[in-house]
Amino acid sequence: MGGYGDVQMIDENGLRMDGRKPGDVRPITIETGVVPVADGSCRMVWGTNEAIVAVYGPMEAHPRKIQRQDRAVIDVAYNMAPFSTTDRIRPGFNRRSREISKVTKDALESVVLLELYPRSKIRVSIEIISAEAGTRCVGLTAASVALADAGIPMTDMVVSVASGKVNDVVVCDLNKEEDNYGEADLPMGILPNTGELVFLQMDGDLSPDEFKQAWDYNVDAAMQVHKLMVEALKGGAN
Amino acid sequence: MSAPIVPNLLRDHLSDLAMNDARLDGRGQYQGREIKLETGILPRAEGSARVTMGNTIVLAGVKFQLMTPYPDRPNQGGLMCSCEVRPIAGRHWEAGPPSPESIELGRVVDRGIRESGCIDVDDLCIIPGEKAWQVILDLHAISDDGNLFDAFALAGIAALRSAIIPAEKFEVGQDSPLKVSKKPIMCSYHKVGGRFVYDASYKEELGGDERIHITLGDDDHVHSLQKGLKGIFTADEFADIMEHAKKRCAELRELMD
Repeated sequence: MGGYGDVQMIDENGLRMDGRKPGDVRPITIETGVVPVADGSCRMVWGTNEAIVAVYGPMEAHPRKIQRQDRAVIDVAYNMAPFSTTDRIRPGFNRRSREISKVTKDALESVVLLELYPRSKIRVSIEIISAEAGTRCVGLTAASVALADAGIPMTDMVVSVASGKVNDVVVCDLNKEEDNYGEADLPMGILPNTGELVFLQMDGDLSPDEFKQAWDYNVDAAMQVHKLMVEALKGGAN
Repeated sequence: MSAPIVPNLLRDHLSDLAMNDARLDGRGQYQGREIKLETGILPRAEGSARVTMGNTIVLAGVKFQLMTPYPDRPNQGGLMCSCEVRPIAGRHWEAGPPSPESIELGRVVDRGIRESGCIDVDDLCIIPGEKAWQVILDLHAISDDGNLFDAFALAGIAALRSAIIPAEKFEVGQDSPLKVSKKPIMCSYHKVGGRFVYDASYKEELGGDERIHITLGDDDHVHSLQKGLKGIFTADEFADIMEHAKKRCAELRELMD
């Protein structure tokens, strides 16, 4: 959070820099089967974010020490391509991508029916091709679609959205400027069929009322995005 | 990359096919897969391209950085080519530090582009001894169904040709297109079932032996060669594929315009 309070990001009509109302989500397109050699895959374009996710497996888990006798493990690798941001990112692991890989794995392991595949591994590779803001949300949401495309049984798909605060206004689905200069960021991973959560992070500063508003925006947005995910998967089956 | 298990059945099958002048997917010995080339597809890169060859898909992105020229070459900028094959591209690619395979890939593609002289590094100098452009070409595999080499090389040169130097962003003048004077093209051949085939698929690579990569520039000048993997080939075999490479490179050069 930059906390640059003097950057004006909401105009006199209450609209945001990209013309959205506070509760609006950026335009989203979803495509499945985009990695032909994978068992399941998804391309999700969300604003100017673009994530490509491939799922391989269930397959033999190796090295052997990662095997679980009673269930499968999910191996998530989140990565930002070097050309995905304004300034080039040096390839290789960094602390940020490790943390995001971990929380994404924790979210997905909460919905996939792991006990159906003991001693095996499901590999989820998330590549951010173009980053605007909220790439962890796009990655996690696209990963759910890719898992469904691979036919891996889940209790529900995870839909992840982030809301936050700019110029003391709570807004849904932060864009780049709002993320950089805003005052708070609340990404959530929601199960649309039950309203349960499997992913939650937050940083910044929100009053109890603002927190409630951001939470509600995320839940509403998740329901909208969920419809698009289902449509994309149905389209893929035809 | 974990060592894939190559069933003798696959090798036998490929040998049988080769004897009848056939391939797994019905192509002729020197017939390539259909190629789709798109440029300007990455919103955050200064130049970009996507190449689709059958089920092989790769991306190339160009970024620019300011650098201090090396003391022994104060009038020159730099060109860097980096290649990553991450686990997204196939079940045989694993996370971790770059494998020798992916390093070889990046370096062979880099040599073809660099040695053709298509980018004039003197042109990249802004203030001699102080400031110059470093051009960074990042190659990223999305789906590996064989012959990443040719796909990377084609995406790489196409991305460079579409690149705009972001001088305004760095406050060193006006944006201008990157000058790319030549079109180096790579053609790769894999020994499968005892004969060389062009544009091998992943299964052919798996059940094949050595491979040869040839990069030809304009006027058929040779800019890079690489023999990879275990195997022996004859001068006549090489002459044959060189003959084909000349024809194929000319066709691909046209595809880029």
